Amino acid sequence: MFRFHAFSTSSLHGFCPRSARTGRWGRNALWFTCLLTISFLITGCEGIQSALNPAGRDAALIAQLYWWMVGGAVIIWLIVVGLAVYALQINATEHDYNVTRFWVIGGGAVAPTIILTVLLVYGLSMMPTLLEPAPEGSQTITVIGKQWWWKVRYHLPEGQAVELANEIRLPVDEPVQFYLESADVIHSFWIPSLGGKVDMLPGRQTRLTLHPQRTGIYRGVCAEYCGGSHAKMSFEVVVMERDAFDTWLEQQQAPAKSASNELAERGESVFLAHGCGACHTIRGTKANGKIAPDLTHYGSRLRLAASALPQTRDALKEWIAHPKQTKPGVHMPSFALLSEDDLTALAAYLEGLQ
Amino acid sequence: MRKEPGDPEPLEEAPSLEVQRQQEARLIEAWKTPTGWRYWSAVNNSEVGLWYTLTAFCFFLFGGVLALLMRIQLAAPDNDFLTADRYHQIFTMHGTVMMFLFAVPIFEAVSILLLPQMLGARDLPFPRLSAYGFWCYLIGGTFVCGSLFFDAAPKGGWFMYPPLTSSYQEGIGPDIWLLGLSFIEVASIAAAVELIVGVLKCRPPGMRINLIPLYAWYILVVGAMIIFAFPPLIAGDILLEVERAFDWPFFDPKRGGDPLLWQHLFWIFGHPEVYIVFLPSVALMAMMVPTFARTPIVGYGWVVLAAVGTGFLSFGLWVHHMFTTGLPGISIGIFSAASQAVAIPTGIQMFCFLATLLVGRVVRSVCLLFVLGGLATFIIGGLTGVMVAMAPFDFQAHDTFFVVGHLHYVLIGGTIFPIVGGVYYYYPLITAKYLSEKLGRIAFWLMIVGLNVTFLPMHWTGLLGLPRRVYTFSSELGVDHWNLISSIGSFILASGFVVFLYDVLRSKRNEPLIKRNPWQAGTLEWLAQIPDKPWGCRSIPEVDSRYPINDQPNFMRDVDEGRFYLPDAEEGFRETLVTSVIDAKPIQCLRVPGPTFITHLAAIFTGGVFILGTYHHWWLAGISSVLALAAILCWLWTGTAWIPEKEEKDISLGLTMPIYVSGPNAVGWWAMFITMLGDMTAYVSLLFGYFFYWTIHEDFPPEGITGPGVFWPVLGGVLLLASWGLTIAAQYQNRKDHAGKFYGCVIAAVLYAIAGSFALIMGPWQTGLDPTSHVYPAIVWVLVLWTVCHAGVGIIMLLYCAARRAAKKMTARYDADITNVTLYWHFMALTVALLVIVIAGFPFVS
Amino acid sequence: MKLPPHEQTQSLWILVASPTIWAVHFLACYTTAAVWCAKMAETGGDLGAARWAIGVYTAAALIGIAIVGWRGFVRQSFEQVPPPFDADTIEDRVRFLEYAALLLSILSAIATIFVALAAVFIGTCD
Repeated sequence: MFRFHAFSTSSLHGFCPRSARTGRWGRNALWFTCLLTISFLITGCEGIQSALNPAGRDAALIAQLYWWMVGGAVIIWLIVVGLAVYALQINATEHDYNVTRFWVIGGGAVAPTIILTVLLVYGLSMMPTLLEPAPEGSQTITVIGKQWWWKVRYHLPEGQAVELANEIRLPVDEPVQFYLESADVIHSFWIPSLGGKVDMLPGRQTRLTLHPQRTGIYRGVCAEYCGGSHAKMSFEVVVMERDAFDTWLEQQQAPAKSASNELAERGESVFLAHGCGACHTIRGTKANGKIAPDLTHYGSRLRLAASALPQTRDALKEWIAHPKQTKPGVHMPSFALLSEDDLTALAAYLEGLQ
Repeated sequence: MRKEPGDPEPLEEAPSLEVQRQQEARLIEAWKTPTGWRYWSAVNNSEVGLWYTLTAFCFFLFGGVLALLMRIQLAAPDNDFLTADRYHQIFTMHGTVMMFLFAVPIFEAVSILLLPQMLGARDLPFPRLSAYGFWCYLIGGTFVCGSLFFDAAPKGGWFMYPPLTSSYQEGIGPDIWLLGLSFIEVASIAAAVELIVGVLKCRPPGMRINLIPLYAWYILVVGAMIIFAFPPLIAGDILLEVERAFDWPFFDPKRGGDPLLWQHLFWIFGHPEVYIVFLPSVALMAMMVPTFARTPIVGYGWVVLAAVGTGFLSFGLWVHHMFTTGLPGISIGIFSAASQAVAIPTGIQMFCFLATLLVGRVVRSVCLLFVLGGLATFIIGGLTGVMVAMAPFDFQAHDTFFVVGHLHYVLIGGTIFPIVGGVYYYYPLITAKYLSEKLGRIAFWLMIVGLNVTFLPMHWTGLLGLPRRVYTFSSELGVDHWNLISSIGSFILASGFVVFLYDVLRSKRNEPLIKRNPWQAGTLEWLAQIPDKPWGCRSIPEVDSRYPINDQPNFMRDVDEGRFYLPDAEEGFRETLVTSVIDAKPIQCLRVPGPTFITHLAAIFTGGVFILGTYHHWWLAGISSVLALAAILCWLWTGTAWIPEKEEKDISLGLTMPIYVSGPNAVGWWAMFITMLGDMTAYVSLLFGYFFYWTIHEDFPPEGITGPGVFWPVLGGVLLLASWGLTIAAQYQNRKDHAGKFYGCVIAAVLYAIAGSFALIMGPWQTGLDPTSHVYPAIVWVLVLWTVCHAGVGIIMLLYCAARRAAKKMTARYDADITNVTLYWHFMALTVALLVIVIAGFPFVS
Repeated sequence: MKLPPHEQTQSLWILVASPTIWAVHFLACYTTAAVWCAKMAETGGDLGAARWAIGVYTAAALIGIAIVGWRGFVRQSFEQVPPPFDADTIEDRVRFLEYAALLLSILSAIATIFVALAAVFIGTCD
């Protein structure tokens, strides 16, 4: 199909002399890339936030798709780059135009079309599985993204709901239905080990179904840039056996325990006296603010400040005194005016809210 | 080399040496570049193109430094090198600068510089428009970048998603982004119009559509893509800025708005944008590969297919940036499918280049090294691109560092490497000196190693769970070492650019001048003489081949001795040829304007409108817009549609060509047509907004809000359509030379247009639509105001034509002004009709 | 075979005919699906009629593309001259444009089928 006329200029010799050195280009590149690729493959996929260490059906399906695509991509890349290297090495007289026709039509058009069709069918046929809502009666959770934390609402079978924050616990081997909302800007709800992400858009409700399959502690994170402390907007995800989950959920529904010792009692009065209750709720006390995380069972959570800090007394004191140092732009005011003793008491009280 | 019988041949005999010297002297006199401080008034493509290129590279370096700052911050977990706020400004500006101030402008810059040479034209058809575009770009770019030094830069990401940018960010950062970039986008569109017209109408005689250099094909496609891709973003910019400035709730869900509309408008621009910056680099590859393979390109037709196909398909991908917004699976599937399909033409291009190398006798050089290195890395980016186009995988990879890795492979491998290769290739053409092969090789290896060390680990970091746009990260993710490696790699990459920069800037005073056409390429730009002359080509050749320098016997001699067209500038004007679109038959000897400062004034005052608007100095902005309008009118008055002293001119080889044409043969008509296509695209984007809101609301217009009614919109529509009819009549009367009737029609058209605009405004005004109360009144008002503004422009155009006729600058024979204005009014009529149907008619249907 | 006279004024629009059909088909499919799911169906409802509509669009689009492609095929192959169609003649220009139109038709057909595949595998508004 391709017919070429020869160049009619007389001088065809190259501008640059053909040097032996330059023959190594392609080989160098090949070696280099192979080494890098191998070094990637031998390092682990482990990680609390890893999409390649699946603990749920959806993440597993996607990881499988990923490995197929990586394999295919490496082969395609090697063929194409190999062809380029070959094209540099060989002499023009060694092959005819039918060969080029084969490469343009076969390599450029037919092969990609076949590969892409297969891939597309694979991808499309996965989608109904991934997007299908959880069956009736599954655990339903509404999560509301706020700058820069997560309001979590467990819907109970009787129609009530219990409001929690910054931590999600799920029963293993059961589908769970998330309803996702936003109270301010766009966030994105992502638990890499369990499955894909879905955005949280103000004015809309989006849905996500996950199928945890392995117990353990994972981390979710906000994936859509949402301003100041976007980098510090995470949450802990605990996948647990059904029994343990039921116990936990029951405990979360209960009002807060009253302070158990003197220090904690002082902490409670500090909490109420300094207006913390204007923003935070502690069920069973006068604190019923709605704009900040519910602290009723704060002490049972694994981490602090939307997973930005560990659950330790020092971290908690630091957070209360200087929240903006941990999370730039955070809406919680600084309580640096509190005395060291007050801070300790307050932290002790909150830790006791199991 | 076959050609039609009777195809023009160069003159048998060259003019005598004496005559040649006189011709050359006259050409130089007409085309000479001003000296001293007046140098900056130059408008010739070689000066403007060079400034444009250098400016774009400066912005590139600025963006690169920002990237290094980010990599320092991310080299270690919980680093405090940059504050969160500073980091957010920097990542926003990095993306913005690289996309808007480097990638698109560099393509336009290089094309302004090279395209006329490739087409054997003396200049582009609208040199002052390129100059205006350049000065707008310089002013706007400096303004936007400067904000970073006052801690006032935008920090909403280069994608500027509301409501973060509409209601949750203090300061003027978003306004700087919206207005500053709109200003630059207008300049980009202006350049695109010019380049499209250049490719279609300013080719050398005989360069049929099957013979044009592949670069020109790509420019044509990319220019068209800009015309259809940028206006939706401008429409989005208007909506978002109006929300910020006047509280019209387009993206506020509490009052019926929806932030997703912005995402649609942004990505309808944003995805074609990726191909807008990638295809010109493929175009450079398509010029370099055949040269260094010493053979014509294999599969010219296939490459054209790929360019045109990519151009189209790239508009069907935008939702793949929105796969995780909870859209129905079917929508995701449709876009996923189109995103797969676009890989096919991309593959075809790559294999055409490989096949060319296979059949050719490859000559090695740094240029080819960059082309092949670019190809190898781009393919990785393309393959990961296919991965993220698979919606299920994108659910995981979206908004993570995986995508950062992917896009930098595409943009550095696919866009920047070929550009650097192109600099090595074309540097001798511009400066008559070579860049160093040795330094080039060092730069290449530093860059390619740096690129891979920086961005390959990012795929992994992303899948280990690190989202994009984080100013810091925690050790618990287990990505510390990968991030450190990336940061080290970024400095290796940067050092490669430092070597390259040194090579470009180092003094080459002691090096000999190169010989002409150093790479033995076959395309027309290599006709340039050493040292270069300002006239482009000595005479404009008759082209019979895709590689005329190689194929046409004695070609260079014939060009140099003035044996082809337009070897002279007898009247001292700058002249170039206009030819027909398909077969490049000569149709006009076009006179183009020379140096001026009026374009600077126009650019400064246009900039003033946007910059003063940023600070909400509405009165000053208004004054600036009046001055900008005055400058532009003055420019049009003095620099366009000159009535020539004679009808026709002998262009040699036995041809005489008219000097003045109007209508579809004229370049001005084409420019108006293409500009209005872009304008309509912006308008359609606003209409899309109307229907988008309709789909998300149960009732639209919502309960309790009446629409603008039927009476006023229909009355306004009828009056404006009458105005359109009168404009057509005015054109007719002008051609008939009935001066009285012409002025009558113009005045009546103006009055009807004023009355019609008034009636259109009365619709929403009378029915009390408050644009701050809900999105429905807001979108209706925006559509009405859009139309009224266009009517205003139409009125000014009509008055301009009347004044031109009164000043005897427009006559029955020389009627380009009114012809182009009539074309504008055709589009105006369409705008009005759509407006009335939508705002008055659609409420009955929905 | 002599070229018919109207070939002298062949237009560039022939190149964009098939891709334009693809674009119209694409937008029609997307709009139909989006409006159906937003206005007609419940959340997670069945695509039903929208799928049939996409099927009809696809058939119509493929017929259109086939006509353009066939025209291109016939015209580019007159006198059986193979590419690269790089002579400075009207014949080669015609062959080139029709050949490019043919290739674009094939690409458009593939892209159209790809888009339609989405409706084959996805049957609800989830």
